[in-house]
Amino acid sequence: MTEPNTTSSAETRELISFRVGEQEYCVDIMAVREIRGWSPATTLPQSPAYMRGVINLRGAVLPIMDLACRIGMPTTEPSVRSVFIVVQAGDRTVGLLVDAVSDILSITDDLCQPTPDIACENVRHFVRNIISLEGRMISEISLDRLLPEREALAA
Amino acid sequence: MDELEAIKVTFFQECEELLADLEGGLLAMQDGNDDGDTVNAVFRAVHSIKGGAGAFGLEPLVRFAHVFETLLDALRSNEIPGTADLTAVLLRASDVLADHVSAARGLGMVDMDASAAMAAELKAWTDPSAAPIAAAAAPAEAEPEFEGFTPIVIGADDGMDDDDDLGFDFQPMTISLDAQAADVAVLDNVWTVSIRPKSDLYRKANETGLLLRELARLGPIQATLDDSALPTLEFLDAEAAYVTWSVRLETEQGEEAIREVFEFVDGDCELEITRGAAPVADVLASLMDVALPEPATPVEAPIAVAPVAEAPPPAPVAVSAPVPATPPVAANAPAAAPAAKPAQIEVPGPGQSVIRVDPERIDRLIDLVGELVINQAMLAQRVGEYGIAPSSNLAMGLDELEQLTREIQDSVMAIRAQPVKSVFQRMPRLVREVANMTGKQARLVMDGENTEVDKTVIERLADPITHMLRNAIDHGLESPEERKAAGKNPEGVVRLAALHRSGRIVIEVQDDGKGINRERVLSIAVKKGLISPDLTLTDEEIDNLIFLPGFSTADKISDVSGRGVGMDVVKRSVQALGGRISIASRPGLGSTFTLSLPLTLAVLDGMVVDVAGETLVIPLACIVESLRPKAEEIRPLGPTGSVLAVRDSFVPLIDVGLTLNYRDRSPPPTEGVVLLVEGEDGSRAALVADAIHGQRQVVIKSLEQNYQQVEGVAAATILGDGRVALILDVDAVINLRRRGPPPPADPTLIAAE
Repeated sequence: MTEPNTTSSAETRELISFRVGEQEYCVDIMAVREIRGWSPATTLPQSPAYMRGVINLRGAVLPIMDLACRIGMPTTEPSVRSVFIVVQAGDRTVGLLVDAVSDILSITDDLCQPTPDIACENVRHFVRNIISLEGRMISEISLDRLLPEREALAA
Repeated sequence: MDELEAIKVTFFQECEELLADLEGGLLAMQDGNDDGDTVNAVFRAVHSIKGGAGAFGLEPLVRFAHVFETLLDALRSNEIPGTADLTAVLLRASDVLADHVSAARGLGMVDMDASAAMAAELKAWTDPSAAPIAAAAAPAEAEPEFEGFTPIVIGADDGMDDDDDLGFDFQPMTISLDAQAADVAVLDNVWTVSIRPKSDLYRKANETGLLLRELARLGPIQATLDDSALPTLEFLDAEAAYVTWSVRLETEQGEEAIREVFEFVDGDCELEITRGAAPVADVLASLMDVALPEPATPVEAPIAVAPVAEAPPPAPVAVSAPVPATPPVAANAPAAAPAAKPAQIEVPGPGQSVIRVDPERIDRLIDLVGELVINQAMLAQRVGEYGIAPSSNLAMGLDELEQLTREIQDSVMAIRAQPVKSVFQRMPRLVREVANMTGKQARLVMDGENTEVDKTVIERLADPITHMLRNAIDHGLESPEERKAAGKNPEGVVRLAALHRSGRIVIEVQDDGKGINRERVLSIAVKKGLISPDLTLTDEEIDNLIFLPGFSTADKISDVSGRGVGMDVVKRSVQALGGRISIASRPGLGSTFTLSLPLTLAVLDGMVVDVAGETLVIPLACIVESLRPKAEEIRPLGPTGSVLAVRDSFVPLIDVGLTLNYRDRSPPPTEGVVLLVEGEDGSRAALVADAIHGQRQVVIKSLEQNYQQVEGVAAATILGDGRVALILDVDAVINLRRRGPPPPADPTLIAAE
C-alpha cells in the first residue's frame, strides 16, 4: 500500500475501489454507507435497464443500479461474489451493483488526472477523474450524476 | 445569541397559538356566542403578542398591536359597545396583526399602507373613549396625588384564582384612599399585614401573588402596594425587591394562621402583623412625600420580560430592556404594570398538561412500528412454512403478538393524528379575503374541526380546501344584489365540514349559491375542445367537467381564480393521495364538493397478487370485486383488446403484467384472476393477475425518497418475506392502457435511454 505523502499540501482522501467487469472504479469512502451481498431485487416497471429494481434495506426501499449498465457496458449477471455498495448520492441512498470490492485506497489529489477525452460520452459523464496508482488505473465515479433527475410524471 | 434565537422561536410558536385564539375568540364574538371572558381572552392574546414583540424590539408589530390592544381594552371595559361592525374590523385587524407577526419572522412583507390604514381605523373606533385614555396617559395632570405609584386593590375573588389568566391576575383598579380610610373601623377581626419581600424571596421562586392568595383564603383582603422605594430606571436593579404590600385582612382566624401563610418565606421577607385597621392615612402620607419626585416611567414601562428570564423581577414592576417607555405604551399603563408577571409562572391547569414532542421522534416511532409489523409478518410466515399446528403454543403466541402489534400500531398512529382544526383555522381569513376581493358577502360555517386524521394527510389538506373554498365563493356564491333578487340572504353561507366515513376522512365544502350552470359548463367545454359536441352527458357528468384540465367558467380572470387551474389541480392532488373528489349541484340552491381521503398515508389495506412472478399490492379501496372469468365472458374487441362481460356491462380487460412490461404476451385471462377495479373518475376496468394471495395491511414506503416516481406504481411496501412489493396505482394502470396500443414486445428497447 502507498503511504500518504505527509509533506504534501494536498489532502489525503480515502476511496473504496471495486471491479466492474475487468475495469477498476472507485468512490469516495465518505459516501459509502455499507456493502452488502447480492439479494434479488423487485423489478421496477417503466424503468431504464440499469435500474435492477428495489430491495428492502432495513425498512427503507433502496433502488439498485447496475453500474456496468449505467456506464454503457453490458448488464451484470449477478453471481455469489456480486455485492452492492450502498452510497449516498445527494439526498438519496442508492445501491450500486458491482462485481467485487477490491480495497481501500488512500490517495492525494496529485495522483488524480482528468478523464481522458475519449469517445464515450457515458465515461466522460460519470467518471470524475482517473487515479493512477502502482500501475493500476482506477476511475472515480461521480455519484451525483448516477441517478436520473427526479422528474414529475408526464401527464 | 443562539439562546435568544431559541426564545424567539418559542415566541413565534406562541404567537401562532395566540393568533389562533384571537381569531377564534373574534369569530365567537361574531357569531354571538361569546361570554364575558371571550373579549378578555382576545385582549390577552393581542397583549401577549405585544409583550413578547416588545422584548425582541419588533417595533412595527408592537406599534400595531398596541393600537389594536387599546381598542380591545376599551371594548372589554365597555367603554365602547361591541357591534357586528366592530367585530368585523377587529377580524381584519387580526389578519393585519398576523401579517406583522409573519413579517417579524422574516416571512413575507407587511403592506405598510394597509397596516397604517387599519391602525387609523382602529384608532377611529377608540376615539369616543379617547378622554379617559388621555387621562391615563398623563396621570400627572389628571390625578397628581397618585403620581409615581399605583395603589391597587386586589379583589381576592377576581383574578387571583385563575392561573391561566396570562399575566392578568391583578385586576388593576385605582381606589380612592379616602374611602378606604373611612372604612377603617377598629374591628377585632381585622388584621393589617405588611409584607416587604426581600429579593431572596423571588430568587427562591416564591411570589407575592401566591402569598396574597393564601391570605385571601383566610378571609377577604384588600392589598395595597407601596412602590415608593422604587428607584428610577437607571438605578433599578432588576433582581432586587423594592415594594411593600400592605394588606387589610378580615378573618376569624388568629395570628397563628396568618403567620402560617408565610411559613415558607420565613426570613425572606419582613413581616409585620398587627391587629386592627391599617394606618392607611400614614401610608398615604408617607407615599405622598416620597412619591412626588419619582418619575412614573419604570412603573409604566412596557411588559417586556423575556419568557424565560432567570429570576422574576418584583412582581408588579415591569422591567424593560434598555427600551424606554414609549408614549403610546404609557397610555396603557394601568394594564401594563400589573401585567408584568413573568410568563414562566404560567402553568397549564390540571388535566390540560400537553407534551410537546418533536414530530420527527414520532415519525421515527411510526417507522419502527412499521418495521415491527413487517417483522411480525415475516416471523408468522416462517412459522407457517415449518408446518406448525395452529393450536400449538408457538402459533398462539404469534397470534397474540400480531394482535399486540396491531394495537401498538393503532396507538402510535393515534399519537400522530391531529384534528383538522389546524387547517380549518386558516380558512376564515381566506374566506374574508376572497369575499372582499370579489365583492361578495360570505360567512364561513365550520363543522367537525376536531375530526382527527394522520399528520401526513393533514399537511396535504390545506391546498385542496383552499381551492375549493375559493371556488365556492368566487364561482358558487352570487353577488349580494343577485342574492337579494333571488330572495336569498345577501350574505352567502359556505359550510366547511369534516367527518369520518368508513375509514376515510370526508371534507365537504358546501355553498348556498346558484349551483352549476350546466348549459354554460357544457358549451364552454365544447368551445374549448375538451369534449366533442355530439356527446350526450348526464347532469352529473356535466358537473364533473369542471375538473377537466384547462376548464374555467369565470367571466373575467380574477386574482382569486379563473386561471383554469383550480379544480383540475385539486383533483390531481387529491388523487395523488389516494382520495377522490366529487361534486353535487342543485341549480339555484348551491353546490357541494365532497373530498374523501384515506385517514393515513402510512398504512394501506391491500390485496396481494402475483403477476408474472412479481408480487404486487392492489389498494383494497379500488377493488370492487374479484372473480375467475369464464371463457364465454371474455369477448375480443378490436385487434388486441378484449372486454369482460360483467352483468350486462362490458369492462375492458387489462393485463397488469403486460401494462407494466413484466411480460410480452398475456396468458389467456381464464387462467388468471380478474379484479374488477374502479378508478377515481368512476371508470371501471378488469385487471388480470395470475393469482391472489389474500388481503393484508401494508406499510407504505416511498419510492421517491431514494429514487423517483414510477408510472403505474403508487408506492412500495415490504412483505412478510422481507422483499419489496410494489403498490399498484390503479388509475395510472388504466390510463397507461388507454393511452394507446401495447408497447413493443422487447422491454429492453423501451428501457434503454
